[in-house]
This record gives sequence, structure tokens and C-alpha cells, in this order.
Amino acid sequence: MSYMDILKTAPQVMTPGSSACQGCGGELILRRIMQIAGNNSVFAVPPGCMAGAGVDGWSYQNGCTAPIHITLLDNTASFMSGVSEMYQRKGRPDVNIVAIAGDGATADCGFQSLSGAAERGTKMLYVCYDNEGYMNTGFQRSSTTNLGSRTSTTPTGAAINGKEQSAKYVPLIMAMHNVEYCATASPSNMPDFVAKVQHGLEASKRGFAYLHVFSPCPTGWSFKPNESIAVARRAVASNMFPLWECDKGKFYMTENRSPITIAEFVRGIGKFNKLTEEELGILQKTADERYALIKRLCGKD
Amino acid sequence: MGEVKALTGNKCATMGAALCRPDLIAAYPITPQSSVVEGLADLVFSGELNSRMVQVESEHSAMSVVQGAAAAGGRVFTATSAQGLALMYEPYFRMSTLRLPMVMAIATREMTSPETIWSGQQDAMSVREAGWIQCFCETNQEILDMIIQGYMLAEDKRVLIPVNVCYDGFYSSHLVERVELPTQEEVDAFLPAYSLPAKLDPATPQALDPMTPGELLMKYRHNHLEAMQAALPVIDEVDAKFAAAFGRSYGGAIDTYRLDDADYALVTVGGMTGTARDVVDAMRESGVKVGVLKLRFTRPFPVEKVRAALANVKGFAVVDRSVSFGWNAGSMYSEVCAAMGETLAGKAHFSAIGGLGGADISMAHMENVVKTLTSLNEPGRADTLWLMD
Repeated sequence: MSYMDILKTAPQVMTPGSSACQGCGGELILRRIMQIAGNNSVFAVPPGCMAGAGVDGWSYQNGCTAPIHITLLDNTASFMSGVSEMYQRKGRPDVNIVAIAGDGATADCGFQSLSGAAERGTKMLYVCYDNEGYMNTGFQRSSTTNLGSRTSTTPTGAAINGKEQSAKYVPLIMAMHNVEYCATASPSNMPDFVAKVQHGLEASKRGFAYLHVFSPCPTGWSFKPNESIAVARRAVASNMFPLWECDKGKFYMTENRSPITIAEFVRGIGKFNKLTEEELGILQKTADERYALIKRLCGKD
Repeated sequence: MGEVKALTGNKCATMGAALCRPDLIAAYPITPQSSVVEGLADLVFSGELNSRMVQVESEHSAMSVVQGAAAAGGRVFTATSAQGLALMYEPYFRMSTLRLPMVMAIATREMTSPETIWSGQQDAMSVREAGWIQCFCETNQEILDMIIQGYMLAEDKRVLIPVNVCYDGFYSSHLVERVELPTQEEVDAFLPAYSLPAKLDPATPQALDPMTPGELLMKYRHNHLEAMQAALPVIDEVDAKFAAAFGRSYGGAIDTYRLDDADYALVTVGGMTGTARDVVDAMRESGVKVGVLKLRFTRPFPVEKVRAALANVKGFAVVDRSVSFGWNAGSMYSEVCAAMGETLAGKAHFSAIGGLGGADISMAHMENVVKTLTSLNEPGRADTLWLMD
């Protein structure tokens, strides 16, 4: 079945009527993952944009068609470890154990529990929708926010111009946990995205699977809602967000033979409005070096 | 009856948990609880215990893993102390407010600072408003027995609240006493297999804990408080059932010693009760009519029982191994006074604080408490007494 047929025919699992912003990358990502995983799943969504948007339902009014729990911001992976262990014990390995968390719940205060679950090889699929900040609570900085980004806690002021540090590159850290499967994906590359979700679900029957997904945020990053997919496409095209996977320790990548520049990527994204030439240079260098590193990991020197 | 053995408190917690056949155990070692985790690992790794053991990277994850497993329909166990309990506070509060039953042992320990690893009850006392049932044990036998009773209490449909079985770090956790170890058959006959439905199950999909408006949240809290009160008679029922099955009764939410005709009472929590019993015997030899009220359960607080037990004394002292910072008193002193209500009038009473950070509460300390009590000429609150040499 082609990815188009899957997305057209698989029933929607997510609660109808969520209050996500127009053009939300996270909502699209979560909706598609839930659709692909289906109803024979247990989902966890920690506090963040998606829980805030009510993807699990609102009191008596509406709800998902699959069991779902709003975990704590920092215990998604450990809570789901317990769920997974019980389903293995009950002889129900068919049930998909799926966590869908933002970058705060993944890279920051949830990182310890994530690392622990990955190290233990817990049978689950953990997806991070990375919108590079705490977007639900008003666009505050996270450890995956890029250098020079304007957030509400790293404003572009006269003394300090946006975020002073580079982003933490979480997917490679996760791959180094010796997990069953680790990949990056983007909603701009849907066939690749669907294949990686499917691969992740399949790998989650054997061990820990991790997906890191680029999640454009028009509200927090200040760009037009109808440009979300274009922004995601530019992130991939510029090597700001290279697509790769690590399957049982072996690396594969989507090669990008004619990348656009980071300057082209940031154009029209408000949070990068005040980038200096120096910062732009650092972002470009970081992207180039990371792409080269992944290429080396893929044995494509 | 099974074997009679000489066991540490931690071994009793280990054996108590193992005899209840938990589906999953997740724990992180911390002094003085560590040998509970090691003991359970031995049993699981040797194949003697068919439980899944998840060796987590922190107490926060320990409580989170057991929470997930309980939400997926399993009987679970963990144990901790002090800083570990503090670290797990977030999922700890959520365990009780999700109304997921379980038993957690706490080998009680002083809270840092000053830096310490030794005994004290500040850890467990500090989380007494987190919605768990809390009981404190005096003997190693009681630790083992209360873990078994704890599952029956927690899983009772009138209760559905997780239970802390607390015992003094080092004094109980590391010291050896005579213990009757029940057989697996005896425990199986007493404690039914876990039968509560999974909350997270594709066959019965539901959102566990979606955003809840205040009007509805109030109902959850109301139900939780009602269930806490409903637990009081269940505690007595479980104690009676346990006595019928194993021949040991602890008296339910409180225990008393030579209190019926007493003029003065020592109110105690945990292992210090043994010292109090000996001091009572000695002081009675010299004609002082003193007795002991042991608070076995502090949540729910046994208000009526405390009030009835202290009805006829002239004075009482509450001996605490923890402090209530804003009250210039030990943690349980204010609560005992509150429980007494209008019947407090006419009685002399004070808070005694001792045994912090591993310090001993000696016979001499306990005698000093009684002597201070008998010296009081007026009713009302007397100065807080610090049990320091």
C-alpha cells in the first residue's frame, strides 16, 4: 500500500476538533502517527502543544479512539516503560506503545527518563516533534532552540541577541544509546516520514525506537501558517535538518547533493529576523559539519 | 506457619513484597533502602520470583514505571528513602490522585541539609499531604505483615489508594529481629490475585487524565478524601482478617500499651515505640501511671481512635522524629492536638523532638519525656522538648 493510500484510508484516531494553531506541524505529525499506529495502541502525550490542544479529548465532550494518557512533562518514557513491560507480561506484544512528545519533554526535563528507557531497550516508539522551544506556553527557549533564535526567554535585545547557544542535536545522542531504530523525519517528506513511522513501530516490537521530527511552528517562529510545509522543506534542503536513519547501528541517509544555504532557510522566519552575519555563519558551519558527520557515519566519505 | 528466621527490616520488606507476587518492580537504590532492591533482584534473577524487574535511572522513573504498569493493570512495588522520595514527589502525588493502588516501602531517613544519610521520619512525614495512605512499623515482623496487608487495603474497591509502609532507616532496616516468615500458600490464600481492570487498554479506550476543569477536579478530590475516611474501617477489617489467617493483630490504625488506666501518655511513631514500652514498664514500677499510644497510621489520621485513647489522661507528649517548621513542634504533635479538638482542654501536652539525622532516642530521653509530663502543673501546651544529650 502506498503512503497516500494509508493516509487516505486509515481511520483517524486523534480527537476531532483540536485547538492547535493554523499550520501546526506538531498536529499534522501526531495525527499521522496515530493514524499509522492505529487503535491497537496505547499513546502517551506529555504536557506541551499537543496536550494543550486537547488531542486526547476534553472532559466528557470528545476523545481519541485509542487509550491515551497525558504523562508528566518529564516521565513520558518511564511511564510508557511500565505500560510496555505490562503488555509484554500480559502476552500482548501486538499492542503498539507510542509516545509523542515535544522537545521540552524530550530534550530537556524529560531527557533523563528518555535516556533510561532507551538504555533499557524498552519496547516502544518514542517520537519527538521538535518545534525548537516551549511553544505551548508562549515560545520559551529549549535546548533544541537554534543559535540566534528569538524566543520569549531569549529576546533579541540590544545587549544579547537571541539564543546564545547552539541547539543540542538529540537524534544522534539517541542513536548512540544503541537503540533498535533511530531516525529523523520531516512532514515535508511524507513518504519518508510514513516509512520511518512504520519502521519505528516494527522496531518497537524488538526494542527502543526513536523518531525525531522537524515540527514547524508558524505561531512561535513567526511565519505564515500556509508556509509550514515549505519551511520544513527548506530545513531539509539546507541540511539544517538532514534526514537519516540508524537501523540496528547501521546508518543510512537521504543525500542532499545540492543544498540551499542556511540564509535561504531562515528567510521569512521571524524568529531569525535579527540574525547577525556571524551567527548565520555559525549556523551554516554547524549544518555543514553535521551533514559531513552523518555522511561519515553512513560510510559515504 | 512458615519458618522462623532472624531478618533485617529490609529483608522483611523484600520478602513481604515478593510474597505478594508483584507483576513489576521498579526501584532505584538509596541508603538505607538499597538492600530491598538488591534482595528483590536476587529473587528475580535466580528465578525464585516471577516478577519483571525494571532497573531505572532514578526514583522519578521508578515511580513513573510502576505508575505505567499499574495503569496497564499490574500489581507493582517500589521502595525508597529521603532524597529518593523527594525526587519522585511529582509522580508520587500523581499515583495517589490517579487512584492507582500499590505498596511502596519507605526506609525512613532524615532530609538533607545538613548532609545526612541516617535515620529520621522527615521524608515520609513531609509528603503526608500527597494523598497516600501511610503506616509506620515498630518491628520487622510488622514491616513484612504490613506490606501484605497493604496490598489488600490499597486494592480494596472502597479504598483504591496506594499505601506507604514506613519503617525507621537503619534502626529497623538494618537490624535483625525474630520474624515468622509466612509461606507462599498462606499469603496466596490471604491475598487474592490482582483483579482491577487496566486503565490503558485498547479494548476499552479512554483518555486517562485529560485536562480536567475545576468543577470536575473538585469531585475527584472529594472522592479521594471520602475514600481516605472509608479506609479507616477497612484498616481494622484487614487487621482482623490477617489475625485470623496468621495469628498476629496490630490493633488497626493505632496500638496502645498500658494506656487504659494511665494518667500520662507517650504518643509514638515507628520503632521508638519499643523504647517507650520499656520506659513505661520501668516507670510503672516506680508508681507513675503512664502508657503508650502508637500511631500506626498517620494517613488517614485516626481521629476518633486517638481522641478515645487519650480521653482519660491528664497529659500527653507526642514524640516525633521529624519537625513541622512553622509550628515549633514535631510533625504529629499538631495533628494529635487537632484530633483532640475540644477534648484537649484540661490536658497538659507538649511536643518532643528527637532522633533526627540518626540520633538515638534513648531510654533516658523517653524517661525525661515522662518526667517532664508529670512535672507539669497546668493544662495547655508546654514548651517543645528537644531530646538532646
